Amino acid sequence: MLRILQFLKGYVRMKIWGVSPERFLNLCSNKNILLWDICKDGDAYTMCISLSAFLQLRPIARKTGVRVVILQKFGLPFLLPNLLKRKIFIAGLFLCVAFWIISYRFVWDITLEGNYQITQEVFSDFLASRQVRVGMQKTDLDISDLEKEIRRAFPEITWTSVRLSGTRLEISIKENDAPMYTEPEVTEGGQNLVSEYAGVITSMIVRSGVPMVKIGDIVEEGTLLVEGRVPIYNEDATVREYMFITADADITVEHSLTYQDSLPATYIQKTYTGRRSSRPFIRLGSREFKLPQERPYLVYDTVIQGHTPMALEKLSIPISWGQYVYREYMNVEHEYTLKEAEELLMEKELHFLATLEEKGVQIIEKDVKIEEGSAYWTMEGWILVDQPTGRLVPIAAQEAAPEAAQ
Amino acid sequence: MKKKQAEGPSRREAIIDSLSLPKDILLGALRVTLTGSQEAWVENYKGILEYTECQILLQGKNCQVCFEGQRLSIEYYTNEDMKISGCIRCVRYQ
Repeated sequence: MLRILQFLKGYVRMKIWGVSPERFLNLCSNKNILLWDICKDGDAYTMCISLSAFLQLRPIARKTGVRVVILQKFGLPFLLPNLLKRKIFIAGLFLCVAFWIISYRFVWDITLEGNYQITQEVFSDFLASRQVRVGMQKTDLDISDLEKEIRRAFPEITWTSVRLSGTRLEISIKENDAPMYTEPEVTEGGQNLVSEYAGVITSMIVRSGVPMVKIGDIVEEGTLLVEGRVPIYNEDATVREYMFITADADITVEHSLTYQDSLPATYIQKTYTGRRSSRPFIRLGSREFKLPQERPYLVYDTVIQGHTPMALEKLSIPISWGQYVYREYMNVEHEYTLKEAEELLMEKELHFLATLEEKGVQIIEKDVKIEEGSAYWTMEGWILVDQPTGRLVPIAAQEAAPEAAQ
Repeated sequence: MKKKQAEGPSRREAIIDSLSLPKDILLGALRVTLTGSQEAWVENYKGILEYTECQILLQGKNCQVCFEGQRLSIEYYTNEDMKISGCIRCVRYQ
């Protein structure tokens, strides 16, 4: 810090010699003149002194019979006159400062974080409809109003924070993690619960309706599990009337699923030839400028290597450059070995089982085999599962069906 | 008269000692702080009497102090304090 101040104020390195240099030093200190880096150089002394103090030295030097010579000049006051002579440099400096100042007045980047259900595209469209876009002036942005509009437009967003960090607009949102509660649909005439699979009932919790099956019963697809028509009895045990409600129950059925999957016997693999070429580009916002070039190879892929200067990245100014690297490759056909085919098919099967488990299906037993065909590897077998079941069917429709059948 | 002058400082010193007051402020005693043999800070001096690469002689209120060594230089010099750097071999009071 002291060095910076000294540079800004300017200082000189001087040489003194004469009758009484020690007295010269003492008089300087008495007049509160700071001297530093004092060194003995033969018969003379060299030292540093600030520019303003140097101008006060004449009476002291005369009094002590000391001669003073400037050896070197340092600091801004000495640099400035030379700099002012360089008109293009000064113009460039002003333009640079003006560029930063003007750039700082705009929003150059918009970031969104915390979105899981709402996609980036949907949110970008929403921002565009509210005239919030890259390149807009910061003064046109009403942050609190934007926060309110986000919450209003997306009811699933429970919390939102919008802030300007330099020239970047940072939007953080929090979506509602809890499942959205939907009102059960009230159907005229009530609804029955029927089985979706053929199997054996393993558990049953009925919340409303009349259970028509019990644990251990074998059911078919479409078998009535819980009836939505609840009888109301008279005192003499005769049915007075029926109340129609929507049946509600948690029922699981043990049944077997057939599992089948296949994998082609061959696959295409990219093999790079090692030949590559590059094409430089410069990108300003969404516009890109690159050197013209013909199709480099017959078959190739492209890697984009971009660079953004640190200063521009901090300011979020969308200027970057880099190169397109084209890499030639050949499509080579390979055959899967038994081990590779096993690994891939097992991976697919595990993925399938994980999807089932996510749906609340419990896997009890499985038996699958891998077989080699002429053009495919196949995986076949069965999986015994305990799966929640129950599909709502309007009572009128279900009753109408048997009548129609009759 | 001579006896008074001789007794004066000692009585003052005794009072300052008994009250545990700082001597460098009240008596104007030289204050030398050494860091290893490379750096020395000096306060309460009157001025420089002699300065060469091998010796720096300072005048205090009551005595003189001499720093002896090699490549001695003064990093800064103000009315309040100064810093001597170099290879200090000896600090001698005269």
